[in-house]
Amino acid sequence: MKVGVFICHCGLNIAGKINVKELVEYAGKFADYAEDVDYACSEAGQEEIARAIAEEKLDSIVVAACSPKLHEATFRRVAAKAGINPYMVTIANIREQCTWVHSGIEAQLKAMDTIRMAIARAKQSKPLERKRARIRRAVAVVGGGIAGIEASLTMAKAGIKVYLIEKRPSIGGHMALLNEVFPTNDCSICILAPKMNEVWENENIEVITNAEVEKISGRVGNFRLKVLKHPRYVNENCKGCIDDCSSVCPVEVYDVGIRKAIYMPFPQATPLYAAIDWENCIRCELCVKACKPDAVDFSQKPEEIEINVGAIIFATGFKPFDARRKPEYGYGKLENVITSLELERLLSASGPTMGEPIRRDGKKPEKVAFIQCVGSRDVNTNPYCSRVCCMASLKNALILKERFGIDVTIFYIDMRAAGRGYEEYYRMTMEKGVRFVRGIVGNLYEKDGRIVVRYEDTLLSRVFDEEFDMVVLAIGMEGNSLLPKSEDGFAEVAHPKLRPVETSTKGMFVAGTASGPKDIQESVASAGLAASKAMQLICSGEEELEPFNAYVIPDKCVGCGLCVKVCRFNSITMDGKAAIDAKACAMCGACVAACPADAIDMGFFSDEQIMAEIDALTEEKNTDPLILAFACWYCGYSALDLAGTLKLSYPPNIRVIRVPCSGRVDAEWIVRALERGVDGVAVIGCRPSECHFGVNSIAMKRVEGLNEALELYGEGGRVKGIWCSAGEARKLVNSLSEFVEELRKR
Amino acid sequence: MEEHVPAVINLTYLWKKEREELGEKVIETIKGFGAEGIEYCMQCGACSSICPLATTGFEWYNRRLIKAIDFGIRDELFDDVTPWACVACNRCVEVCPRNVNPFEVMFAMRRLMIEELAVPMTAVQALKSLYDHGHAVYTTGREARKKVGLPEKPPTTDSDEKALEELRVLLRNTKLPELGLFPMS
Repeated sequence: MKVGVFICHCGLNIAGKINVKELVEYAGKFADYAEDVDYACSEAGQEEIARAIAEEKLDSIVVAACSPKLHEATFRRVAAKAGINPYMVTIANIREQCTWVHSGIEAQLKAMDTIRMAIARAKQSKPLERKRARIRRAVAVVGGGIAGIEASLTMAKAGIKVYLIEKRPSIGGHMALLNEVFPTNDCSICILAPKMNEVWENENIEVITNAEVEKISGRVGNFRLKVLKHPRYVNENCKGCIDDCSSVCPVEVYDVGIRKAIYMPFPQATPLYAAIDWENCIRCELCVKACKPDAVDFSQKPEEIEINVGAIIFATGFKPFDARRKPEYGYGKLENVITSLELERLLSASGPTMGEPIRRDGKKPEKVAFIQCVGSRDVNTNPYCSRVCCMASLKNALILKERFGIDVTIFYIDMRAAGRGYEEYYRMTMEKGVRFVRGIVGNLYEKDGRIVVRYEDTLLSRVFDEEFDMVVLAIGMEGNSLLPKSEDGFAEVAHPKLRPVETSTKGMFVAGTASGPKDIQESVASAGLAASKAMQLICSGEEELEPFNAYVIPDKCVGCGLCVKVCRFNSITMDGKAAIDAKACAMCGACVAACPADAIDMGFFSDEQIMAEIDALTEEKNTDPLILAFACWYCGYSALDLAGTLKLSYPPNIRVIRVPCSGRVDAEWIVRALERGVDGVAVIGCRPSECHFGVNSIAMKRVEGLNEALELYGEGGRVKGIWCSAGEARKLVNSLSEFVEELRKR
Repeated sequence: MEEHVPAVINLTYLWKKEREELGEKVIETIKGFGAEGIEYCMQCGACSSICPLATTGFEWYNRRLIKAIDFGIRDELFDDVTPWACVACNRCVEVCPRNVNPFEVMFAMRRLMIEELAVPMTAVQALKSLYDHGHAVYTTGREARKKVGLPEKPPTTDSDEKALEELRVLLRNTKLPELGLFPMS
C-alpha cells in the first residue's frame, strides 16, 4: 500500500502558524510520498494531487488541510478521477482543529500527531462501493387532516400514487370542524371542502377511512404497512341523505348539540357516507329497514390490508388537551364551561346549532370569558406554548362581540400574536371592545346558573370575582404521533431548523401538527415540504447509500443477540447468527461497538482504521497530559470545528478521532488508548435525546461503566463523556479545559 | 397604600446594595431559605386569585412578594406583616402552573426576617403566644365552649402540659430564642 501525503498551506491560515516544510519532511518518514501545496482545494492543487496519485502510483492519500466537513467530498472526486477509490482519502484536520486554535510549537506538535494518525489510518483504508436501492413510486400518508390532504394532493398531482389513511369516517381532520379561521376569517369548511373533494376525485389517491396503521416494516424505498380497516357498517350504496336512517334511530347522543347514533359527521363529510357511532348504537337495526338503497350492512367485518410504498408521511395531527386535567376549571362538571373546540362547533354555520352560540339550557350568553393557556405553559400538564390558542380566542371573541353583541373578556398570561397580520388582528379585537385581563383564573364555581370567576388583575394587583354566562377554556394541543416522540410528546424531527419534516428514519416524513403545535398555514407549509421531500426521494428512483454500513463476520458471530438489542433501526435479524440488512442500516456503529466477539465491523470507521490511529498516536507523546477525544461527526466534531471558526483557543492537549456517532466508540479502544499511555479519553456526543441515531444513551452508559471499572484500579475519572450540540463550541472547549485541569491535578 | 416601599423604587441603588452590601442577590437569599422555585414565576396571578391574603387586603401577598424579591427589594418589606398572616392553606401551590411553590416564598421571607431580627409586632405576639400556649392565635370563646358542654380548653397543647413542653423544646431549638422572646435551650 503506497500512501501519499499532501499538506496544504491554505495561504497563511496554516503556513502562517506552523512550519509546513518541516511537516512534509516529518510525514515522509511515515508515508511513501509527501509534498506541500499552496491551496489543495484550488484547481491547481487538485491537479497536482491527481498527478502525484498517477505518477507515484499511490493507493491511498492523506490531505492535511481544513475540516473534512468542507472538502472531503472534493478530494474524493479528485481521487476517483485519478483512478483510485474515493474512500481511500483521509483528511487530517490541521486548520479548524489546529492552526486556528493553537500556535507555536504546540500547534506544530499537534499537526505532527494528527498527520501521523491520518497516515496510519490511510494504510488501513479499503475501497468501498456506494450502494443503490430502488424506490417504490408510491407514498402512504397517515392522517387525513389539512396537512395530510395538502401533502396527498401535491404528490398525486405530480403523478405519484398516494394512499391516504384516515382513522375517522371522514377526512378533513380538526379543520373541518372549525368555524372561521384567522387572520382572514374565511369559513373553514368552505376553503377545505373543495380540497377534500379533490382528494376523493383524484385517481392517484386511494382514500382509506376508518383505518389504522398497525405495523410498519421494511426500509426506505420499500416500506410495508399493515392497515386495519374497521367496518363502517355502511356501504358504497349510501347516498348521503342521512334523513331516512337517522330519523328512525332511537339513540340521541350529545355531541355539542344532539345527534343520532347513525349520523353524518358534518355536511361536507368525505366520503359522504353515514357513520355509525359504535359506542352508542344499540343495534336495533331500524336504520337497516329505513334505508332504501340498502346501504346499512351490519355483516361487515374488520379487514386487514397491506400497502407497499417508497415513503411515508405522518400527518397524524394533535390531540386536544383534556380540560378535566385542570380540575379547578370544573370542566365536565359545569355545563357552561366549554372548550375552545366546542365553541368552534357552536359557531360553525353548518354545526349543531347552525352557528348560534347558545348554552345547553338554550339561553344565549350575555357575558363570556376565555381562559387562555389551559394545559399549556404549565409544568404539571404541558410546559410548552400551544401557539394557536391566542389567535383562536381573539378570533372567536371578535365573532361573539361583533356578530352577537356578547361581552367578552380574555384572561391571559401573555398574548402571543406572532405571524403575518396577527398583531393587526389583535389590535382590531381591542378596537372592537373585547376586554383583556392579564391574570390567570385560579378558581371558578357555579352560582345561580352563572359561572363566578375568581382572578387577580395582575396589572392592578387587585383580586376580583366576576360572573359570566359561559366560560371557554382555550385548550392546547398534545402530541399524537406514531413516530418516536420528543420530551414534549410530539414527533422528533431530524433537525428542528434545517430538517423540520424529516425524521431519523430515512423515507419517513412528518407533516402538520404531528411535529408540534402549528396553525393552518404552518401545517400547509410543512405538508408541502414533506411532500416535496418525499417526491425528491421517489423521483430519484434510486437511493444512493454511503458504504459505511455495518456487516457481520459470520465465522466470529456467537449468536448472543446483543446487536439486535442495541440497533434502533430493526436492521439486524438473528437466525442462529446475526445478519444485517445493509440497506436498512443507519450506519451509527452502535452494534459494532457492542459486539463482544468483534464479529461486526463497518465501512470507513472500521476497527482496524481506528485502532491504527490510536496506536499511531501513542507512538510519540508530544503533550502532557495527552487527551484522546472521540468526536461524533454530527455534534462534537462540528463543535470542535466551530471553536476553530470562532478562533476559541483551548489547551493543545487534545487529539481527535472522528466517529460517526458516540455509540460507535468501543470500550476496547478506550482501554487500549489508556494502556498505551494516553492520560485521558473524552467521548464527545450529542446532548441527551438529541442523538441522530438515538444511541448516545448507550455511549453514556459505556463511559459510566468504564469509569466505575477504572475506579477499582484507582484510575477513575480518566474517561469523560461530554454531551453538547454542534453549536456549543464554548461549552465543549470549557469542558475540555476542565478535563485537562483534572488530569493535571492527578 | 404601599407605606413601606417608596413610590419610586431606585433599582440602581438596590442593584448596588445587592453587590456591595449584601454580597448576594435577594432572590438567591430567598432561594437559600427554601423557595427554590421562585425564579420560574411568570406573574400569571393564578396564586393570588385564590390567596386569602390577597382578598383580605394584605399588601405583599404571594405574587407581589415574588416580584418585589425579584427586584431586590428586601429591607423595605421587613415592617410588613403579610408573610406572618399566611395561613398555609396550600392553594397557591396547587394552582401554580410552574411549580413555583409561592407558599415557600412566604415562609422563606419569614425565615429571612427572623435572621435579620426584623419581626413585626403582630408576629412577635403570635410567636410568644405559640410558646406560651401552643397556639399562634390564642383561642378565645371559652364561655361558648362551656355553654355547649365542651371542656373549657380544647384538647390541644392548651390543655396538655406534656405536649406543650414538647413543642417548647422544638421552639427552643430553632433560631427563635435569639429574638429574646423565650428562653434559650
